[in-house]
Order: sequence, then C-alpha cells, then structure tokens
Amino acid sequence: MQVSNTIDCNGLSPAPTLLRIMQALVGREDSTSPLNVLVGADCNCESLAVSLGPLAQDVQLASDAKQFAAVN
Amino acid sequence: MLEESSETSSPYASDPETPDFAFDPDDPWTQTFQEGLARADLKGKTVYEVGVGTGINVAFILQSCGARRVYGSDLDPRLVVLAERNIKILSPEHAKHFEPVHGSVSLVDTNEAREKIAMTDVVIACIPQVGEPSDERLTAFREAQSIELAEGAGDEAEDHIAHYYPWSLFDQYPYNSVGLGLNEALMRRIREHAPKAELVMNFGCRIGTEIICECFEANGYKPEKIASKIVLQHSGTDISFFVSLEKALNGTEYEKQLVCKFYGDPEGKQPLSATKAQEMINDDPNVPLYHEVAVIRGTPV
Repeated sequence: MQVSNTIDCNGLSPAPTLLRIMQALVGREDSTSPLNVLVGADCNCESLAVSLGPLAQDVQLASDAKQFAAVN
Repeated sequence: MLEESSETSSPYASDPETPDFAFDPDDPWTQTFQEGLARADLKGKTVYEVGVGTGINVAFILQSCGARRVYGSDLDPRLVVLAERNIKILSPEHAKHFEPVHGSVSLVDTNEAREKIAMTDVVIACIPQVGEPSDERLTAFREAQSIELAEGAGDEAEDHIAHYYPWSLFDQYPYNSVGLGLNEALMRRIREHAPKAELVMNFGCRIGTEIICECFEANGYKPEKIASKIVLQHSGTDISFFVSLEKALNGTEYEKQLVCKFYGDPEGKQPLSATKAQEMINDDPNVPLYHEVAVIRGTPV
C-alpha cells in the first residue's frame, strides 16, 4: 500500500510525530518529492528536524497545508 | 486513586457459549472492562457496544449496570449471533433489551449501525491496539529498525481479529503511529454521528496511559481512568511493534517521552521497557510478563 505524500500529525506530541514521519518514509514508493508533514502550530520543527537526522532532507514540515502548495 | 479490585463469582446461572473464534470472557481484560463499566453510570442509558464478542458485556450492563437498552455489532458476523444466544442464556429477563446489528460491521460503518449510534448515550469498546504482524508497511518499519518478528508471531489463532488490526488501513489517523489508529477511527466516527455520547474504552496500556489520554484529548474528549488492573501479557501476542517504536526513538531527544510499560511482577512494581521485555521473551518464551489494562471514559468537550 502506497503512503500519501502528505501526512497529518496535527495534535500529536513530539514522540508519536517523529514515529509517524519515520513510518511514512519507510512506506513511500515515490521518494523524488519531499514528504509533506502537517504539524500543529506549536510544533518545534527545528527540534523535530534534528531528531530526524539525515531523514529531515526528505521531509517538508508545515502547520498550514497551503504552505505545501507553495513549495511543491 | 482507583480502588483495588477483588475477584467476584459469576452472577449468571449458566456459562456462556465460548467457541475458539471468540475472545475468552474469563480473560482479565474482560474483568477490568466490567469494573469500569460498573463505574460508568450506565443506569437508564442506551449503550452501543462496538465488538460484542460473546455478549458477556451486554449481559453485564443490562443485568448489573441497569442500562435501558443495548445495541451491539461485531466485525465477525458469527459473534453477534453468538451474543444473542448467550444473552438469552445469561440474562433471559433482559434479552429483549438487546438489539443486535447483524452482519460484519467494521466499527460503526453501516447505515443501521450509524442510525443506532445516533440514538446512543454511551459507546463502549475494547478493540485491538496492535497492528497485524504481517502488515506490509508495519513489517517494513520493523525491519528498518532491525527488529525480527518473534517465532510464531505470524501464526493466526482463531480469535486473531480480536487481537490485531490491519494497521496500514488506518494510517490516516495520526495515533496509528503508536497502535491507536483503530481506536482513533472509532472516536472520530462517534464524534460525527453521536457528538454528545460518552466513550468507555478498554486499553492494554503498553504504550502508557498518558498517550492514550492524549489521543482522547486530540479527538475532543476529556479522558478519565475509571478502572485499572495489572494483567498477564498473553504469551502469544507479538510485542515487536512496541520494540520497534522504542528503537526508532533511540538516540533522539524524544526517547524518554515514549517508553513502553511492561512489568516483571503482577503488582506492577518492576517496570520493563518493551525492549527489555522482548529480550526476556527471547530467553524464555514462557516468562511471565505483565502490563496494565485500563478503562478510560471520554466525555465530549
């Protein structure tokens, strides 16, 4: 089953957010475009990116889905 | 603080019919759930049980909790028929107050189920919180953490669907990441079709009650733990999912935010991570391990 290119992590605390991103990255067939991750407005994206390590380059974090359209 | 529970003898004249495809009604999960149901103020209420199994909880809430009417359905269509038979055996004077929704019903995803949910005061459920071990994406995630599936974990018992859910199918729900996707899907359906209904749900708290309560809050419910018991981990239930979660967080700043909760003793005084619990299982597949089962009531806010 292919994973959507956008996942919703809104409402999740940091640990399950990180897990959800890792799980989505494992399940992707198309890795040419970044995985869009919708997070809450209070998400510390910098800290999340540090924890993602090299995986962070495959991820686009935003608290508003409109931001994805501007990037992709 | 919750009171310590005591074992109680069966209030029924006869034992329920319990084929292998049904969840064992003598299991401590059921005992804990019924302690919670007894504290859930069900008197005079209309209740819907998602996943009726043998019907033992329906009989309990009609006979002992004073519910006015109970609806119920199950993913396995054999079970709702079994539940009807058992309720007539266990509590014949209340049997007319049980209205089953026949057929295979996933969560409340039929028109009849949704109609009944709309007339419900309290929805109760004890549904799986562990992803199907053979799920393709779950397998990929587990393998990415270099975690092997325990021997025999892929074998399907007769009551397999009472223990596991198809993890990938519920990936749209954020809390699927920690095994709560099926439960979160139910919360959202109840919010949509019965926004004033309370939820009373039974959980194996291997990922901790904090994150379960977080899931309730994220879906618009105020959570309250109303019953709790430390129970023996089913020796056949695969815990590699929990080990994968811990290992994925290992070395990140969030690793202490999610440590699974197993215990080495029945009192729950010797906490073990899932990683440690799996090591003990690998050394001795019959080692007794324990975890909390808790009943959480969610009140819509």
